[in-house]
Amino acid sequence: MHQIRYFLAVSDTLNWTKAADRCNVAQPSLTRAIKALEAELGGELLRRERALTHLTELGQRVLPMLRQCYETAVSAKMAAESIIKGDAVPLSLAISHTVSLKPFAPMLQELARVFPGLRLKLQRGSRGEVADYLKSGTVEMAIAGPLGEAWTRLDVFPLFEEHCDLAVAPTHRLAAKDGAEFKDLAAETLVIDVGCEVVDDIRARLRAHRIVDPPTHDVGTREDQLALLSANLGVAVITVGAAETHALRLVPLKQLDLHLTVSVYTVAGRQRGTACATLLNMLRAAEWASA
Amino acid sequence: MTQPDFSGVLEASFIRSRDLDAPLGDRLQAFADDVRRLAPGFMAAIDALVGRLQESDAGAAAPKVGDLMPAFLLPDDQGRLVKLQDLLKAGPLAIAFHRGHWCPYCRINIEALARAEEKVAGEHRHIAAVVPDRRKFAIWLKSEAKAPFPVLTDIDNGYAMSLGLAIYVGDEVKSLMTDSGWDPAKSQGTDDWLLPIPATFIIGTDGIVHSRFVDPDYRTRMEIEDLLAALASAT
Repeated sequence: MHQIRYFLAVSDTLNWTKAADRCNVAQPSLTRAIKALEAELGGELLRRERALTHLTELGQRVLPMLRQCYETAVSAKMAAESIIKGDAVPLSLAISHTVSLKPFAPMLQELARVFPGLRLKLQRGSRGEVADYLKSGTVEMAIAGPLGEAWTRLDVFPLFEEHCDLAVAPTHRLAAKDGAEFKDLAAETLVIDVGCEVVDDIRARLRAHRIVDPPTHDVGTREDQLALLSANLGVAVITVGAAETHALRLVPLKQLDLHLTVSVYTVAGRQRGTACATLLNMLRAAEWASA
Repeated sequence: MTQPDFSGVLEASFIRSRDLDAPLGDRLQAFADDVRRLAPGFMAAIDALVGRLQESDAGAAAPKVGDLMPAFLLPDDQGRLVKLQDLLKAGPLAIAFHRGHWCPYCRINIEALARAEEKVAGEHRHIAAVVPDRRKFAIWLKSEAKAPFPVLTDIDNGYAMSLGLAIYVGDEVKSLMTDSGWDPAKSQGTDDWLLPIPATFIIGTDGIVHSRFVDPDYRTRMEIEDLLAALASAT
């Protein structure tokens, strides 16, 4: 594994002296290790031209995968060792309002069993807040739908998809119908969770069906959205799972075809805590039945 | 050129090889012979990859006899987190790395290990398998062989890499494998095309490596008789 550590150090610094210092080895050892890695991969990874060092095409191609694998290896190793020591294990996690904690509860339970020192810090937020928590380092990882962020340091691992549909109170006039069409919404007030990950998709679909500037109640959390729906103040397009927990009626909305892809997010290059690394591996290994 | 559904064509050959009444080595060889006969070009590329790995001493840094086996914490096929120390509480352990549920050699190997586990389980000696595949595929591999032991998921080959056992298959083999219908990316949930060297370690209850088999040629595996003998003499 030291070969990969050395290769990552040279790739980061593009300077053999600095890389050797960072890895705390003599330059000949560094060179030897990289030659061995090149022999194993069957090609040159780095090219030295006088004072300049740059990655070859093969080097550029294998760098991201070796980095991801190396980060997983290092944090998994730390996790296995920290149990032996019985350390306190903090885990800071953000979950968007849209996502239910329920499917993740068995994993947190398993994590707490293995790490008796587990101390959770859970934060809820809109997609913007979740993205900010990740960027600022307030949380190590997040579970949410698409964050609408083009931040290159964000590592995204898709987990499952949740189907969205029209939800109404049991007393609503549409509740008794087998299905609805967009034109049925023309006379309705919509309850919109403005921080929800699919709010832009919902608005785009409404516009596409000529529902422009409909009357709305705007809310900032899923909980408030569900409360207003239960009180029959309007109708909403939400994930099916959320509607079921609040005894709302789901009415299939023709031509909606909307899914929320729930992913786990981490920040590349940031040292993952032991609980974070272990939970990430559990989430990625898990078998998810798509909702 | 390999045929588009080469992996499908080989299924009958896989079943015939797996079900041979012969030592594991012969069964793996029977399958390898069929591949060589049906797709000499494919096998030549594999020979070149294996030659390169052997030349560069791939896997040489893996724990040796007398070394302490590094700790791990990996999710099993039930979603439980499994520690090496927990497995060792039940007795000496054979831990076998596998490339994935899609690999015919691994499927033959797992089947042989499953029958071996049935023989030794009453003697407080155990077997566990490690794959880079996600749980769904680990379950598939386990069910096909009716394996009574845990199949652990090593995401990104992280543990294998920490042991110096993760290798990159290279562009040529990657495209040959994809064309033939073998795609580890789907089951691993990552497109990095790293695979573990399918090594086997026999570990005593003190965590010390008692015996090992490491060969970058994935077509050869630790012989079951050797594995059973090593397990029997481990304490």
